[in-house]
Amino acid sequence: MSTTLRPGAMNLVGFVEQPESSDHPYEIDVDGRPYVPTGTAGIVLGVELGDPVDALDADHVAPGVTIAHPDPAARHALTSLSCVGNPAVVRTGAAAGERGVVVGKRGEAGRVIVHFPQDVLAALRPSDQISVRAFGQGAAAPVAGVTALNADPGLLASLVTATGDAVTVGVRTCLSSQVCGNGIGRPAHAWDVDLTLGHDAPTLAILRFGDLVVVDDLDARTNLGYRSGWCTVGVVVHGPSPRPGHGPGFLPLLSGPADLLRAEVDPDHEGISTSRLASPTGVSPERM
Amino acid sequence: MTVRTNADRLVTQVLAGEVWPAMGDRHAYRVDADQQPFLLPGMGAVTLGVHLGDPATGWATDHLEPGLSVRHREVGANYGLQFLACVGNRVTVASGPGAGGVGVVIGQHAYVLVDAPDAVLENVTVGDQVTVLARGQGLRLLDHPDVVVKNLDPSVLEGWGLTTLPDGRLEVPVAMHVPAAAVGAGAGMASEYANTDLMGAYAGQSDDLSLGLEPLRIGDFVAMADQDHRFGRGFRPGWTTIGVISTGQCALFGHGPGPSSLLCGPSEAFAVRVDDRANLGVATGALA
Repeated sequence: MSTTLRPGAMNLVGFVEQPESSDHPYEIDVDGRPYVPTGTAGIVLGVELGDPVDALDADHVAPGVTIAHPDPAARHALTSLSCVGNPAVVRTGAAAGERGVVVGKRGEAGRVIVHFPQDVLAALRPSDQISVRAFGQGAAAPVAGVTALNADPGLLASLVTATGDAVTVGVRTCLSSQVCGNGIGRPAHAWDVDLTLGHDAPTLAILRFGDLVVVDDLDARTNLGYRSGWCTVGVVVHGPSPRPGHGPGFLPLLSGPADLLRAEVDPDHEGISTSRLASPTGVSPERM
Repeated sequence: MTVRTNADRLVTQVLAGEVWPAMGDRHAYRVDADQQPFLLPGMGAVTLGVHLGDPATGWATDHLEPGLSVRHREVGANYGLQFLACVGNRVTVASGPGAGGVGVVIGQHAYVLVDAPDAVLENVTVGDQVTVLARGQGLRLLDHPDVVVKNLDPSVLEGWGLTTLPDGRLEVPVAMHVPAAAVGAGAGMASEYANTDLMGAYAGQSDDLSLGLEPLRIGDFVAMADQDHRFGRGFRPGWTTIGVISTGQCALFGHGPGPSSLLCGPSEAFAVRVDDRANLGVATGALA
């Protein structure tokens, strides 16, 4: 007899990051020019959900604060288990008690991106502790054959419509899997995949932080990889990068055969916005 | 016309390496492209029975690394070894009962990969020392300023059959063309480290994974469409990267047989010619 299992919730802690560098300040861009990366991690002020991703000369900049854990295994668990839409609360420092929401995460070593209002971001300081109510991995699929991941179940319910055997989800745009750069071949519960859109790609000009996007021929049930006839819907979690093979970050939320996971492109679609986040997480809109 | 180079200005460095263990973790399993757990040999240590010219796919392996998998114990010295070793460099076994045996670098994969006859490999095991005569970084093709050369010992050029055409393009024999959709893990990483895993070559797995790359052989030269690997590996329409297949069959999803990057430039700089004999084994004389 099949039983629908209930997802489990955990409180995890992360620490506000400070950007790190080697003793050599430069990264190399796609045309071989050196640059000093800015905005890659930690507290970045003035970047909001809904802002155009290509409005700043920064590297992997995200709408919020990034948190991580100093122990590598705890850091991987924080990253893998945190889901977009999960509530977070500041535990130490001048902003203690302030509430935010997870809006993304990034791969490799792992980091979680948490949205706070600008006045809270300005009161944060690297090493402040933030507790995340991690909830969503293992949640039931909206329909059989489609996998949900990295999404708070309450948030996911606000994004999808089940129609018979299929599920429909609105997206801002559709991309081919060939743009998948850094992150392809890595675990989809722990990494975003960078969309390698050149600086003059038309799609780059329309993308906003929090947009939902569908990538064709991409299977994200475990590792991210090519599978014809499938698609993956995800959220744009960070901005572009001058580095080759890098670009705006795409965090998978739904993956399945394209006849079961139907993405409807709407150029005006509102993705993970502050107003949408307000409802499932209990964060009052005036604090977003 | 034979290509003119600056090979007479390149130095040779004598580098030490060590045959590195195959590694696992206590959870043992990973997940294959069809979502099944697997535990398979192939990566690290000494892998026998697969050499230049042999099929890259069709093996019950993961990240098949032919021959010796070599690193250095010290972090900085290891990066030196990984970055400076070039395809075609001569390698000599320096300790153990196989001492004096000779092989050739066929690529990088976070290990320097060394092919040698089974008669040599049979007497080599983990921990044995090898000596790499590193030469090739900095190589330039004097009549092709738009083409960047990476990871290539100049001694390979003649046997490979690279020529300068009367119209100025570089004629490059390759065994296969590779579509951009095949590029998997390795995107976004430095071009002098590890390689580009190609998806779409999962022999024995689901048909919807295939991009027609199953016939690849170890050592095949390949032309990757829409890839700019001059300063890191990334998708870029209008650019072509030529590589050599240095690793074979993968089970891990998003991974696959991998080319090390050798030549990159605007697509119009190349005249790519498909030739069944375009293999490193032919170029180095290991294959008749």
